[in-house]
Amino acid sequence: MWIDAVVETRKIFGGETSLEKLIFYVLAFVTLLVFFTGLIRRIKKYRSGRKLTGWNFRGGKAKGIEEVTEPPSHVRSLVDVATNKTIARRKPSVGMAHLLMFWGFIGLFLATTILSLDYDVYGNITRIFFGKERSFFKGWFYLTYNFIFNMAGVAALLGAALLYMRRIFSKEKELDYERAYKPEGGYKRVKMALGDHVFVGGLLLIIVTGFLIQGLRIDGSNFPSFEKWTFVGYLIGETWKAVGVSPALAREIHPTLWWIHVLMALAFVAYIPFSKALHILSSPANLALRNPATTRVLPPSPPDHIGYRELRDFTEKDLVGLDACTKCGRCHGVCPARTVGAPLSPRDLILDLRQWVDRSTKNPMILDWEERPDGSGPHNTEGRLAGDVIWERTLWSCTTCMACVEICPVGIEHVPLIVQLRRSLVDEGVMDPTLQSALQNIASQGNSFGKSARMRARWVKSLDFPVPDARKEHVEYLWFLGDFASFDERLVEISRTFAKVLNAAGISFGILYEAERNAGNDVRRAGEEGLFEMLVEENMKAFSSASFDKIITTDPHSFNTLRNEYPAFGLSAPVMHYSELLAQLLYQGDKVSLSKLTKQVTYHDPCYLGRYNRIFDAPRAVISGLGCDLVEMPRHRDNSFCCGAGGGRIWMDDSFLNERPSENRMREAASLGVDYFVVACPKDYAMFSDAVKTTGNEGKIAVVDIVELFYEAMMADQLVAVSGSSLSSEAFESQEGQ
Amino acid sequence: MKIVVGMRQLADLVEELEVADSGVDIDRDFVKFVSNEWDEAALEEALLIKEQVGGEVVVVALDEPDVDQTLYSAIAKGADRAVKIVGVEEGWTPTRLRAQLLAKYLESEGDWDAFFTGVQAADDLDGQLAGLIGASLGVAHAAVVSKAEPEGPALRITQELGGGTLAESVAEGKVVLGVQAGRQAPRYAPITRIRQAMSSTTIESFEAPEVELGPGPKVRKLYPPESKGQATMLEGDPVEVAEKIVEIIRTKGLVR
Repeated sequence: MWIDAVVETRKIFGGETSLEKLIFYVLAFVTLLVFFTGLIRRIKKYRSGRKLTGWNFRGGKAKGIEEVTEPPSHVRSLVDVATNKTIARRKPSVGMAHLLMFWGFIGLFLATTILSLDYDVYGNITRIFFGKERSFFKGWFYLTYNFIFNMAGVAALLGAALLYMRRIFSKEKELDYERAYKPEGGYKRVKMALGDHVFVGGLLLIIVTGFLIQGLRIDGSNFPSFEKWTFVGYLIGETWKAVGVSPALAREIHPTLWWIHVLMALAFVAYIPFSKALHILSSPANLALRNPATTRVLPPSPPDHIGYRELRDFTEKDLVGLDACTKCGRCHGVCPARTVGAPLSPRDLILDLRQWVDRSTKNPMILDWEERPDGSGPHNTEGRLAGDVIWERTLWSCTTCMACVEICPVGIEHVPLIVQLRRSLVDEGVMDPTLQSALQNIASQGNSFGKSARMRARWVKSLDFPVPDARKEHVEYLWFLGDFASFDERLVEISRTFAKVLNAAGISFGILYEAERNAGNDVRRAGEEGLFEMLVEENMKAFSSASFDKIITTDPHSFNTLRNEYPAFGLSAPVMHYSELLAQLLYQGDKVSLSKLTKQVTYHDPCYLGRYNRIFDAPRAVISGLGCDLVEMPRHRDNSFCCGAGGGRIWMDDSFLNERPSENRMREAASLGVDYFVVACPKDYAMFSDAVKTTGNEGKIAVVDIVELFYEAMMADQLVAVSGSSLSSEAFESQEGQ
Repeated sequence: MKIVVGMRQLADLVEELEVADSGVDIDRDFVKFVSNEWDEAALEEALLIKEQVGGEVVVVALDEPDVDQTLYSAIAKGADRAVKIVGVEEGWTPTRLRAQLLAKYLESEGDWDAFFTGVQAADDLDGQLAGLIGASLGVAHAAVVSKAEPEGPALRITQELGGGTLAESVAEGKVVLGVQAGRQAPRYAPITRIRQAMSSTTIESFEAPEVELGPGPKVRKLYPPESKGQATMLEGDPVEVAEKIVEIIRTKGLVR
């Protein structure tokens, strides 16, 4: 120190009278009172939710699910929150802006807390015990404090400014609040948009005024050189000076601007529990509570009735999840139903439920509210939850593709909620007539086609080798086909192809013949839990009558329920998807000899294989291992776009849509200029074969199952063409070129 | 209003039906039995009436394969009681016998207001059941009913006559209806509710009494339809086709 008298510090209050200080403390007290009252009311709302018993929602012990998803852990949740990883996903620039704002405001919050600790706590304690007020807010601590928290301020300012610009200028469909389902009586979401402006705009104003008063203070104290550590404040002080604000004037303006800053900051804190700002608390809480197993292993109904009907059916986690939504619209953007004009947007569903819950518990937000002139939808606290609050068609539009759950940055689980609401509809018998007849068929004959159960294995008859009956002899692989691969005329040919591959590779396999039943994956997701349980019982009976080591399935939907849900009913055998076995045949051992194919292909990830069960690489390894040139679609892997068949949608009418999800997908694929659209799911084959025709891409791109490619490579020297393909002759010409 | 609904079990037509060794019945050992779809429509109509004006719905069926499933489904949908007529000889029950048994049951039940059953069934395409029951009980009967709505203590009945003509009538007192369709498609019975019905409801038994059928037709032979030759498509322009027709008529000896 070159002059003893200089101590690097500043006064906490800038020349305010003691009356003003008193007013400040009273206001601060009132602010905290409002904040905590609001918060406690919210927490009480969550606590009123159903407690989960018997269903271990944290660290869920669903057997086998560990292999599919990382088990939830507090450490992982903390890392996700700290890094804003879930926000940066697929939108890195938004994630970066949010990260700046996130850490910036944590910094500013810490700065205020430290200041309060020094002045209000340390200062008062020392005054009482030593008769003299002391402070650690000086010297090197003061300089470091100012430097670090100036940086935090810059980060917060930059982040908030970027996000606000996006809010104002972005034309992304995620950010306009247009509903997917337009209620007849109309709706207004002006207040929701206003809520965003108040939230981000308010924060911006708070930071800007904070910097301005810092500049005034430095100007007013004649720019002590140590304040250069307060680099932003110093710069702003110089700007004040440059525009003609003398130190004396600065000292005069300072209190006014200080009050503006302080009042805005206090108002904001009080506003948190009643606004979008609540997500500061609710979103991390929900990320900590989320359980990736929930969508893959659907939770049971409330104990005393079927599905969700009333407020007390919602679990604590459900209620926190509803409040966690920031309306970021990512689910709205990826939802296949919303994309093709169905009356479902996962975001709208969550917001409707939230408003309904808030209305029912008299816990409203100040803004962030959708208005309905006719008091319908979420404003209707008297009507049926599934039917009046949420429209039936909205609930039936979901394909359960899980794209929303996958991308939700705050860990909301939309699909289980939809299924719970569907359950209550099914219990009342409210459903599409076509879905009803599919369910009746499944109940009576065990398949959705309404064919005799005895016809299930008829496809084996035209094979020139016997397919063993796993109930009569031991097999290594029990092949579970599912309904489509057993009954659909186009698909049984692919089943035969897979049988030929297994037979040629000398693999011990067998089937259950007429004892196999629909696995129930989509029955369960359509909300018919009783039928699902009946199917599980029948399949488990069939499994116990058979002798096998592993289950292999060609159907990703069956795969999901067998692998993730059946263990709760006693299934202990490992379950594989056929693409995994094909990859093993290709890369391990010499059971098959394969020629190289040279085809330009793209691959469609089935929802229940990819997103649900994280099998992205095995089919790709097969495709490239066979020599094909794999061109990815823009939406691939965990961002794959559903074909529209899942969750029972395949049994429902889709004629009212603007386009089918499969058509949307086919247009995406056709724009790549590849010859083949490779699928690894029977439903995909059916859906996309239709879509090729309806989008006018016949002859340009052909749908082919991955096992058909494999078989072609196996039989290349015998010139066996890819079945059903209009391009096979061309493919063979290119093969000769090798 | 107390409505009794008569239901029948039939071989599921998605099954491949085969003639049994006896030659007079289908092989019942390996087929699955389902309820008659017209009976389901009759049940739906009865449930709708109960929902409108209250009362009781009783379902009754002969002890046929998988009949419990049908009766429990009816309970799950909203029927109040289920009755099974037991002690009937296995195999196909002729419609006349079925009618007699149901009539006896209805006599014992006594205080019912209406009896609904499907207008026809795969093994009763003539739709005789309702008519025979009405006749043997001496109760008014209407067939091909597409709507039955309560009107005070009576029922306003809409029937489909031929050629798109509808007839409306009001039935007072006991009535037997052969239902063609309900006002809405039969509702879905969730499996959970069926299972609840199984654990909470007991199916009542009614011992089949001896009945005199008197003389009547007997099935002598049951066989799949014989193919009756094939149609021949005549191709060519109208003049050529006309010549071919004349030629055929001539060779068949229809004209000289």
